[in-house]
Amino acid sequence: MLLLIMAWRNIWRNRVRSLVIMVSVAMGLVAGLFVMGLYAGMLNDRMRTVIDKEVAHIQMHHPKFEDDHEAVFTMPDLDKTDSILLHHPLIQATAARSIALGMLATAEGSSGVQLMGVEYEEECRVSKLQNKIKEGSFGSAEKKHQLLVGKKLADKMKLKLGSKVVLTFTDKSGSIISASFRVSGVYQSENSRLDEVNVYVKKAELDPLLGLSNECHEWAILLKRDDETDSMKQVISGIYPSSKVESWKDISVETRLLIATTDQYSIIFVFIIMLALAFGIINTMLMAVLERTHEIGMLVALGMNKARLFLLVLWETVMLTFAGVPAGFGMGWLLLRYLETHGLDYSSAGEAMAGFGFGNIIYPVFPWGQLLMVVYVVVITALLASIFPSYQALRLKPVDAMRH
Amino acid sequence: MKDVIDAHNISKTYNRDTIPVAAVQHVHLHLVRGEFTALVGPSGSGKTTLLNLIGGLDRPDEGSILIHGTDITKLSANQLIDFRLRNIGFVFQSFNLVPVLTARENVELIMQLQGMKGSEIEARVQALFRQIGMEDKMNTRPSQLSGGQQQRVAVARALASKPQVILADEPTANLDSKSAGNLLDIMLKLNQEEQMTFIFSTHDQRVIERARRVITLVDGAIVSDTARVATEST
Ligand SMILES: Nc1ncnc2c1ncn2[C@@H]1O[C@H](COP(=O)(O)OP(=O)(O)O)[C@@H](O)[C@H]1O
Ligand SMILES: [Mg+2]
Repeated sequence: MLLLIMAWRNIWRNRVRSLVIMVSVAMGLVAGLFVMGLYAGMLNDRMRTVIDKEVAHIQMHHPKFEDDHEAVFTMPDLDKTDSILLHHPLIQATAARSIALGMLATAEGSSGVQLMGVEYEEECRVSKLQNKIKEGSFGSAEKKHQLLVGKKLADKMKLKLGSKVVLTFTDKSGSIISASFRVSGVYQSENSRLDEVNVYVKKAELDPLLGLSNECHEWAILLKRDDETDSMKQVISGIYPSSKVESWKDISVETRLLIATTDQYSIIFVFIIMLALAFGIINTMLMAVLERTHEIGMLVALGMNKARLFLLVLWETVMLTFAGVPAGFGMGWLLLRYLETHGLDYSSAGEAMAGFGFGNIIYPVFPWGQLLMVVYVVVITALLASIFPSYQALRLKPVDAMRH
Repeated sequence: MKDVIDAHNISKTYNRDTIPVAAVQHVHLHLVRGEFTALVGPSGSGKTTLLNLIGGLDRPDEGSILIHGTDITKLSANQLIDFRLRNIGFVFQSFNLVPVLTARENVELIMQLQGMKGSEIEARVQALFRQIGMEDKMNTRPSQLSGGQQQRVAVARALASKPQVILADEPTANLDSKSAGNLLDIMLKLNQEEQMTFIFSTHDQRVIERARRVITLVDGAIVSDTARVATEST
């Protein structure tokens, strides 16, 4: 008990020196939390993009469709499936898509594309298509053979609103089909790789060309809650055992890996910061031990054993290290609270980041989930930093020490 | 009855391989319970060395030292620390107290290290501070105490562990004569009331006069050992 009191009071014997350590630890933690918050914000942003604009929570395909995207691998009973799915209380919206791989050709040249036969209203609900349209429009009932192309593809193929293109693809029976469409709109999403290949046509127009009726290649299912993804995947698999049901984690594997590895990276980052601070802590504790040679010698003379002396130095190091932690967490929290609402604009680096599907403004989030890990890292640092100073203290012989 | 201290033929030589200094030579020393002994001699005569050997802070090159029957020269380093904690009280010349602890905490620390119970500690702390006449300074840090008060607290701390013997190396060296006399009064009182055995080194004549037995060292050897009739202070 008095050992703890001694340790605590000892760290205030040289206020300036201890404060330097505390401030360093606090600043180190702010930096660490900032990076972790930024990572978390980026992941959040990435996850929202994947769920809200690209994949939805769950997708369902014919089990063979994914391999070669042949038109023949469809799922039947579109209308019935739609009403069954929409009836489920946890499902927010669904979109049925017909998909064909093909070529888009103009007088200038050609480019490989993925035709997405979609129902505009469904797509607005499930993948926010309306928000992605930057020029023109798509989906109005009057005009026939409307085509919505990505900005990246439009730039590459020099497509303008009204440009006529020929789309060539294979139908359900394996015959090659060509059809002409007119560019009615240009869209841009966060993911420029997708913008280059995905082109949208009305499902009602694509289906007859492919030879489909009341069927589709892809179901995109948006849930009401993110955390029901895995359980709903099971539920839907149960209803449609002959289809392949996947969650966004299965489909956007890179996002899943990103989340898994970023967690580790940010903790490693904090560890590196603390390791750098450890040298300052060791130095401070060494000075503290050397300044107190006489006092330590006296304590040992009076009968303080090695274990207790070690504990004293250990407690002192832990307290010194931890004294800056509340301030660090507090300041980190304030900083991230501010950035959570105001966002962090990094449009200068935006071009490169957009290629990976990140937005231009990141909204960092306070890494509550990793806070305990950070505390562990600080504890480990303090323990490591106490070894050498306590070794020096234990080496002191009382008679020699007290001659000082 | 066992001797509190039974040192037999102890010697200590420093710097054996360079310029040897025979600090203590063939010393025999017997102290029984309740003695109040002064160790005198010129500077460098080996007083500190002898006290360190008896107190188990240093090891003799030869000889045996029995404290209440235990030969401390045979104890391991860790056993020796624990032995000191339970059997020997120390009062050093200066900087005796832990500066970050209050007077009472300095005394409590030893009892806590000994594993005494909280209630027991509390009662003993009260009694000890009454005995040294410092009840009003219990919660004061050492830096706020005079040198004499600090030494009194150090005596209380030495006594706290109920040791076999209290060793004091020049306890009055840094005190003015009034404080020195005061400290001696307290030590004598404790010696009489608690039958506590004291051995202290000094070269202060007024302190020597208060001792019941005076052992004189010269060049590390005992040259005289005389019992005196106690002259009680007024
Ligand atoms: N650690 C040491 N190393 C070498 N010589 C020492 C050491 N400690 C004491 N001495 C020498 O031993 C002799 C006795 O010293 P000390 O016991 O301190 O005498 P006193 O306390 O009577 O002044 C002195 O000559 C002193 O210089
Ligand atoms: Mg001396």
